[in-house]
Parts: sequence; C-alpha cells; structure tokens
Amino acid sequence: MSHLSLLLDLQPAAWHDPTQSLQFSTFLAHILVFLNAHLAQKHENSLAIFGAFPGKSIMLYSSIDQTKPADRRVQPDPNWYQPFKTLDAALTERIREEMPQPSTSSEAEELPVALVGALAKALCCKIIQATKVEAPSDTPVVMPESRILIVSVSPDAAASYIPLMNSIFSAQKLKVVIDVCKIYGPDTTFLQQAAYLTGGSYIRVEKHESLLQYLMMCFLQPPSVRSLLAVPTTDRVDFRAACFCHKDIIDAGYVCSVCLSSGSDCF
Amino acid sequence: MPPRRAQDHNYMAVDSDSDDSFIVEDGDGDFGADRTRGAKSKGKGKAVQKGKDKGKGKGKEQPYSWEASYTRSWDAVQEDEGGSLQTAVEDLLARGRRRRLLGPSTAIRRTIIRHLILILDLSASMLDKDMRPSRFDLTLEYARAFITEWFDQNPLGQIGIVGMRAGLGERVCDMSGNPQDVLKHISDRVKLEPNGEPSLQNAIEMARGSMSHLPSHSSREVLVIFGSLTSCDPGNIHDTLDACVKDRIRVSFVSLAAEMKICRDFCVKTGGTFGVALNEGHFKDLLFEGIPPPVQTGAAATAKTGPGNPAADLMQMGFPTRLPDTAPPALCVCHSELKTEGFLCPRCGAKLCDVPTDCDICGLMIVSSSHLARSYHHLFPVKPYEVLMDKSSLTITSPSVCHACALPFRESQQSKTPATAPAEGLSPLGRYRCPDCGNDFCADCDVFVHEVMHVCPSCHDPKPIPQPS
Amino acid sequence: MWRSAFAEPSMPKDPETAGQQDAPHTLIPFLQSQSQTALTRLYTRPSSCLAIFRLLGPIERQIVMSLLWLEGPIASQTLNGWVTKEGRKPYGTALDTLSKIQILPNPGTRMLLNPNFKASFRMALTGGGDLNSFGVPYVSSKEKDAERDGAGDKKFGPNSEHLDSYALERWETILHYMVSSGTDSTPQRPSAGVLYLLQRSGLMQPLPSPSGYSTASSRKTSQLQISSLGFQFLLHTPHEQLWELLLQYLKMVEERQMDLVEVLNFLFMLSTMDLGREYSPDNLTQTQLVMLEDLRDYGLIWQRKSSSKRFSPTRLATTLTSSTPLLPSSGGGNTGPQGFIILETNYRLYAYTDNPLQIAVLNLFVHLKSRYPNLVVGSITRDSVRKALNNGIRADQIISYLVTHAHPQMRRNNPLLPVTVQDQIRLWELEKNRLKSADGYLYTNFAAQADYQVVLDYAKQIGVVLWENSVKRCFFASAEGHSNIRGFIERRSKDEQM
Repeated sequence: MSHLSLLLDLQPAAWHDPTQSLQFSTFLAHILVFLNAHLAQKHENSLAIFGAFPGKSIMLYSSIDQTKPADRRVQPDPNWYQPFKTLDAALTERIREEMPQPSTSSEAEELPVALVGALAKALCCKIIQATKVEAPSDTPVVMPESRILIVSVSPDAAASYIPLMNSIFSAQKLKVVIDVCKIYGPDTTFLQQAAYLTGGSYIRVEKHESLLQYLMMCFLQPPSVRSLLAVPTTDRVDFRAACFCHKDIIDAGYVCSVCLSSGSDCF
Repeated sequence: MPPRRAQDHNYMAVDSDSDDSFIVEDGDGDFGADRTRGAKSKGKGKAVQKGKDKGKGKGKEQPYSWEASYTRSWDAVQEDEGGSLQTAVEDLLARGRRRRLLGPSTAIRRTIIRHLILILDLSASMLDKDMRPSRFDLTLEYARAFITEWFDQNPLGQIGIVGMRAGLGERVCDMSGNPQDVLKHISDRVKLEPNGEPSLQNAIEMARGSMSHLPSHSSREVLVIFGSLTSCDPGNIHDTLDACVKDRIRVSFVSLAAEMKICRDFCVKTGGTFGVALNEGHFKDLLFEGIPPPVQTGAAATAKTGPGNPAADLMQMGFPTRLPDTAPPALCVCHSELKTEGFLCPRCGAKLCDVPTDCDICGLMIVSSSHLARSYHHLFPVKPYEVLMDKSSLTITSPSVCHACALPFRESQQSKTPATAPAEGLSPLGRYRCPDCGNDFCADCDVFVHEVMHVCPSCHDPKPIPQPS
Repeated sequence: MWRSAFAEPSMPKDPETAGQQDAPHTLIPFLQSQSQTALTRLYTRPSSCLAIFRLLGPIERQIVMSLLWLEGPIASQTLNGWVTKEGRKPYGTALDTLSKIQILPNPGTRMLLNPNFKASFRMALTGGGDLNSFGVPYVSSKEKDAERDGAGDKKFGPNSEHLDSYALERWETILHYMVSSGTDSTPQRPSAGVLYLLQRSGLMQPLPSPSGYSTASSRKTSQLQISSLGFQFLLHTPHEQLWELLLQYLKMVEERQMDLVEVLNFLFMLSTMDLGREYSPDNLTQTQLVMLEDLRDYGLIWQRKSSSKRFSPTRLATTLTSSTPLLPSSGGGNTGPQGFIILETNYRLYAYTDNPLQIAVLNLFVHLKSRYPNLVVGSITRDSVRKALNNGIRADQIISYLVTHAHPQMRRNNPLLPVTVQDQIRLWELEKNRLKSADGYLYTNFAAQADYQVVLDYAKQIGVVLWENSVKRCFFASAEGHSNIRGFIERRSKDEQM
C-alpha cells in the first residue's frame, strides 16, 4: 500500500495571473484526476493533501481520517466511485474557503508561501501514520511506501534554507521520497536538492496543457516500481553554497568554524 | 560482611571476574542521571546471584547458570492499578522530555569539525561474559552503530581507531572521513581477537601523535572503551595526562568494569565525560552521549583577541560541481579508476569520487552544502515545548487537534488515587505549546520534532513585515 | 559512494508488489480465456474497468495509466525506453498479460489501448455516463423526509459491525462445514447451493464406503468429506479462498444459463460499493437478481429478508479487489494475520487461539490434549498424522500450514519449524508407501512351461499382470483381469481337448 502526500503551493499572485497558460481551475481538474488515479491503484492507498498559503499551511484533506461528518453527507452518485467523489467535493470546498483573493493593493509584496511548514506537517502525519500501521512487535510489518509530491510555483525563500534542509534529512531518515513538479517560476535549487537527496525526481513542466500526462507518467508510480520503470530525474544539481553577504554562488571560499556561514574573500 | 540483600541498591559489584550483576527491584529508575551513586537502572536487570556468599542467608534461590541468558525484562516495567502499561510508557516519555529540558535551548558555540580517535580495549578482560554475548562482541556491535550514527550527525568529522592489546597500542584504522572505510576495519573479528594486558599510556600516546598535526579550529577527542582494571605502562602516565592537557585533547571514558582513579583524572583534567556502564542499555547510552558536538568551553577557545569573544577560525573550503552519469569517463584521483560520475574540485579541477574529502591534488577541503546543513540543528536547536498543566491556558479559540498532525489530543486518564500526581514533564491535557509561535502539539509530534526533525512546523511560516507607521 | 550512507534513495521492497509480479491474480487467467466479445461487453461499464484495473500487477497498472490519456497510438519504442535493465522481463510479461486480456491488443510497434476500455476507465476516473455502474443507492421515503427536514446524518440501515458479524458467520459456517467433514457436528449447515459448489469444485468429495466404491446412496445423502484439495484450500488466506470459490461459481455459470458478463459486472459493482450503505436492486438484470440469493449464502450481501427491496454489501464484497485482511476472526484477539502456533522439538504444539475453526483445522492432524480459554495444547503423534494422511492430506500441506501460522516468536528460529518434526512428518507419509495392496488372483500349478508362458503372454497383453515368477511358474494378476484369463484358459483347454 502506498501513501501520497501532496503539497500544493497556492500563491495567489502566481495562480491568478491571467497571462499564464494554465488557469487555476484547469490545474485543479488535472490534479483531481491524478489523485483519483492514485486512489484507483489500490483499495488501501491513502492520501493527504496540504495547502501552502501565504503565511500559513493547512491540511486540506486526509483519506485516513474519515471521521468528519461532512463526508457522510455527500450523496453517493451511482455513476461515480464514492471515494473519488468525496475527495473532489472536500478538496474544492476547502480550497475555495481558504484561498485568499489576490491582493488588489500593489504596495506590499505578497508573503511567500509556508512551504516548509507544510512539509514539516506532512512528515509529522507520516510518522503518526506509520506508528498506527505498526502491529505489535515481532510481526513482519509491511510499511506503507510514502512519498511526498510538491507542486511548486514560487521561487526559493532564502530564510527557509535551514528548516528545509532539516526536513529533508528527516525525510531521508524516514525513507520518504520527495518529488517536485515545477510549473511556473524559476528553478529552485533547494527543491532540487530535496529531490536528489531523497531519491525522488524534479521535473519542470514545459507544456502546461499536458500536465496530467506528466503527472501520470512520472509521479504516479510508487518507489518500488521505479526500479523497473524509470522516471526522469535531474542530474545537474547545484550543490554550491551561497555567500552570506552577497548572496552570490561561490565555488570555493571560507567557512566559519563556529557558525558555518560561508563567504568569499569579503570575510 | 552482611549478606547481600535484594533491596540494597547502593551495592556495586566490584569484582569484574564474577558474573554478578545488579539486582533490579523495580524498574522505576532514572538511568544515566546519576552514575556515581549506582542508582537503580531501567535496563534489563539480571537476577543472577552465584553462590559466592557461601550461604550467608539470602532471600533468593540460586537459579541455574543457563537461566542467566534469560533476562528478566518484565522487571523493568510496572503495571499500574488498572493493569495497563500505558503509564510506564508515558513515564519514559516524560523522562526523556525532562532530560531534554536540561539541555541548553539557546544557540551555543560548538565545534563542528571534529576528529575522534576511538580506543578499544582488546585485552583479555574483554572476553568476560558479564555482558551478553561477551564484552568484546557487544563493544564491536555498539562501536559499529556508534560510528554510523556519528557520521550521520557529524559529516565533516573523521574517526580513527586504536586498539590496546598485549601491552601495545595498535593502529586499527587511520583517521578517515569515510564511514564505510572505518567500518571495514572493525568488521573482521578474528583480527581483533583480544589477549594480553591493556596499556593506557601507549594507546593515548599513539592517539595524541596522530592528532598533533591537526588545525586548531577542529576539536580533538579521544573516546576510550575500557574493560579492565589495570594498565601496564612503560612510563609515568601522568606525563601523558599533562601532554594531553597541553595539546587540548579531550579524553572521555566509558568503563565496563569499574571506576579507576586515573581514568577519572583524565576526564576531569581534559574536560571529558566519564561513565561506568551498568548494563547493556546503559552502555549504549553512555557511548552515544559522545555523538552531539561538544560545547566549546572557554579554556578550549582559540586565539584570544580580546575579552569575551574569542575569534573564530575561517576554514577554506571548496564546493564541488557534480558530474552526472552522462559525463565522459575520466580517472579519479583517489583510486585511479575510470569512472563517469564524480565531483570536480573547484580549485584544481581534479575528479573525486566522494565528498566530503580533502582534494588529493591541492589539499582543499571539499564539502557539499548539504553536509554543512546537517550540522545546523546543533547550532540552532528547536526550543523545547512548554508543558500545559491545566486548562487555564486554553482559550475558546484553541483548536482541539494537534497543529502538526491534525489528530485530537490524547488526554491522560485521571489516576484513581489523587496521591499519584501526574509525572513532571507530562501534560495531563496532552498539549505542548511552542514558546515562539504559540501553537499546541501532541506528545508524538513533540518527540518527533525535537529528536528527528529539529524544525517546528509553524515557527517558520513567513510573517508579514510590520508596516512602518 | 559513501554519500549513500545517509543519502540512500532506498526502494523499500514492498513484499506484496514483489509477490504480485510473480503471480497475477487468479481471476486474470480466467478472463484471458474469455472471448473477445465478452470482454468488450465487460469493458463498457466503468466499475468493471476499475475493478479489473485493481487486480492487475503494478507494472501493468502503470502502463495503462500512461496510455490512458493519450489520444492516438504511440510507438512502442517510446515506452520501451523507460524500462530499466531489471525491468525488461517483468515489462514483457506485463505487456503479454495486457494483450491477452484485450486491454492492450497487439502491442507490436504501436500501442493503443482498447477504445472501450479507455473510454469507460476515463469515465470511472472523472465520473459521468449514465450506466449507474457503481450501484444505485436506496433512498427510502423515510430518508427523503429526513433530508427535507434537514436531519442529515442519521444512518438508515445496517451498521458495519452487524454486517461484519453476518459475513463472518456465513463464511465460517462454510469453513466449519468443510473442516468437520460434514459430520453434522456444527450447528448450522450451509445451504444446498453452497454444498453443491463445494462438491463440484473438488474441495469436498463424497464419503467413500468401506468397499471402496462411492455408492449412489452416499452421494444422495450428501455426506461430504474434505479432500486433499480442500485442505489446500484451508491453508490459503481468506482472500484467496473467497476468490477460489467465486471462480468455481463463475465456471458453473454456463450450465445454469446465466450470462457470464452480467455476473462479472455484478461482482465488480459490489467491489466498488460503499460499506454500510444500502442499495436498491432496481437496476439489476434478471441474472443479477438470481445472484443476489447465492451471494447472500456466501456472506457477500446482506438482506433483511429474501424479498427485501434493498441489499447491502458486506466487507467481504467491498474488499474483493484489495488484499488487506478481511474480517476480524471470531473469538477476537490477535489471531488475525499473525500466527498463533508454537511447535517444539518434542512434538508438542501450543496454539494461542480460541477460534473454533482454527481448532477444528488443527484437530485434523494434531492430537489435542487440553484446551484453555486462549490456548490449545496438543501433540503431533504418529496416529494423528496417519489419520490426516488417510484423509488425503499431504505432509507438505501440513508443514506449510504450520509455517504460515507460526507464532511470531517462532520466526526467530532458523529454520522455522524444528527439522526433526518436519522430517518425521515426511517419514510418516513415506511409511504409507511401503505396502500397496491390490486384490487379485494367483495363477500357479501350471502343467508345462509352455502353458505358463502362453497364459502369461495373454495376461500381459491385456495388461493385468502385477507380479510374476518364472522359476516357480506362477504369476499374479489383478482382479479385473481374472475373468478374462479364466475365459482364455477354458477356451484353450477346450481347443486342446478337441
């Protein structure tokens, strides 16, 4: 059984830009079909969706936690598989509630999304779920394969480097694979490193109208199948550090032995 | 001499040749907290009592020696009046949390670049079977786990191994930054077969010699796993002690037998830690205490450029570019093998197989930024969460689910007898509050955040910049 | 790369995936043997597509998903480029399976999904169409009123505990009956349809009478006894057992003049239904209405009474296509997927269970000595094993049953079961092969060597010679050939006389 945690980067400014080729509603439709495909794979597959909004991160949907009364209210449709229908309804409703409108005022720059918080929460849920699955000791436990898929449209936030790296190392320890799907925005080296260190794949979507096909072919397989049907990965990962004063990328420089800040000759 | 009573907790078995161990009465001990008192421990207690008392009247029968392989693990936990073990588990968690609270919660200067020499006692006393299966096998097993974990937490460090055997110091493994390399050297049990007498002076002198060339900004540490009660030295060991102090080498001891004054002197004078292992679990804990980087004390600070703030050394490092599988094959400088993937030194362009390492051609230390990032959590630890003891701190808007995992809080059951107060460090509401961001977390998330992730999920949410008025 | 010390992109080997790559689900070969038209009709319904999709292996599923949303065919080379070296062989097998089942016909140079399958599966994922293939929920008038009044949440109908206990009771009745070999010691018998199914599938056989013939009377009174196949059946997991029975049911469908496609459609629809919700049988065809009763006997469906206007699927039905453990076994506790048997080298057996079914299975080959509320103590003796062997159970089956249900603590031993016990069980089985008895007649006292030779040749010709000794001039022929040989000798003596 396989568990997928989806982190949606919901930066309103990026999504509500009318010049982009992929509108938010189309994007949601693609994502919903992809999630349905994940649930269709096996009866036991589980799903958790987190939304990273500017300044906060919220869990939007979790398939393991079905105690909410709202789910029973959804009328079963004879033409639609019930778990798919619940997922669609719940997700669209929550996003509509939480997604702020793009700020009409132009002075304050938009807050960056709380991607790190969402990632940390996804890992917390993972550990909880794993301990729940554990049978009493001595039995061979089939651990669910977990992976996290980050759909990103914003650039890197420099302030979140340290917590992001910490989360990535804990994901490594928990054997969770992190995949990144980059739709808009510049290439984010932090997320590239995340995918590389955990054994996932970082893919930049070029043709936005075939987003679903990208998702199906590259991100649908659980990690155990990836050894048989390969997925494209990015090899050129930039591991160089940035100078703390100039923010340039440096090849060789000096590192303080106490606080580990790196810099070039300006030190 | 009064007969050994089962309740006599302060009694320590001094004779290392016997199979006597501590008799654990009840498992409610605080191990690791106070070693010198030989207090009750929570590890697996063994109830072996040989007939050494010569019939001085004991309360216990003498079990067979083959029973010694069965450890009375049921002694370690106690049921409460309801018959459940839940309180014992919570007790453990509370203890762990209390221990964490004792640690520093602010950023403290630590040495990140570390060089450690592990000295293993390979003398005849290590063949003793008072720790299962034998002291030697257990030491090897824990040493392997220690090395793996050490490199995980300190990727920029190096470990070397020295053995004490037959009165000599033997170099088992040179200083290396590659954990596979180090593990390979201690994997062969036959080569390390213990015999003879240990010699502390020879081993420590050998360790000191191999660390003498190291730069001053890195820490020099020696960790000795000592299993015997003697040391056959060619000269005056106090001279070695003074030399270590002068060279700023930090010596720590984990003793399997008993406390020796010279060992304690070493630790006290050089600023290391000393411990005597009570049982296997305690042994592992003592060993693993050496994994986090040591706090830099004032005495060990480097060049004094003024009162209060010793200068920090700047180390020169290079950050490589990675060559993928598709690059054309070239010879690497470490093994002279033809390979396609590897790393390029930024200064001289030589091809290296692994990082972090020192470039063989130009001597530049090559690290990747993720290795540096691994040590950040030692420097910027997560603040421990406050324990919410009563409902007065809850408001109407407080959510009823944990902020991280969105599961409802598990409130602990009220104990039937009001005399047993809830353990300190354990919240009866099941809530733990972060002092910075004010969100509540459940017990499982608290443990996970502080021990594995080192990131508080809500402290790093971007906050709006306050507008200038 | 020592970096891999903490940067392991490890692929946890999911044991279930690895296993599935070796053996496809048991239904797949059955589907592969169906005709193309039948499969096409099957694929018109989205729920059937979804259920069949879940039964496939992981590589097949991924291939289907990759091709699902493409409009036109793509060259096989493109998809082949994604396969790694280790994946070549499983990939080839996967393509083969898909083509036999007509989902991916002709995967030669260009790959294109079966258009029916593609359309229906897309509909399954996105919802739509009007085939009502996921089951029409039953909305009683009471519910309609409640909704109007906004009472919302009340559940009408059975709750899941009731459904679980019902399914469990029906299922265990069947298994109990099998284990107790029809000796009527169980309080309940399964219905006649189930008994017929068990007999047809070879899991149980009519009790042989002492003379070795199964008389017509024994067949009529349906005294059934578990066969070797039946014991093999008991060893399987509940999931596999359920599918074995269903496959047998499907094979018998033709004789009962039911439409196979309808039957399959109904089964797949059941597997996609919601547990605990009631459905209305209005949309079902005639065939499917007949099936309702059969499935009630197996414990897949619950109906208040047989003429009730609504039915509910039980957990056995909703987890048809999954592989998680189905029902908590009766008698509670932790005897589910974990083992409960401890076997010692002195042939003593301790089983931590109070499930009467498991105890009955153990009783087949273990001499049970004492029974406690949560423990059964017994020992494996020569008599008990011989009794089992006489019933057609093989030593390998006994050993594999013990291995499958071994207590977790036993897993620390290597090998799992004590070698002495394993070998001894096998030796007891070999013991039975020492003496083989056959009824027949001994022909001796021939007057001349030539006579002996002629009769022997004739007997060999008709192939009834079991033993011969030319020195003593006698041979032994089986009983069936006796009349022939006697006739031959009489004819010869008559010829000679003449």
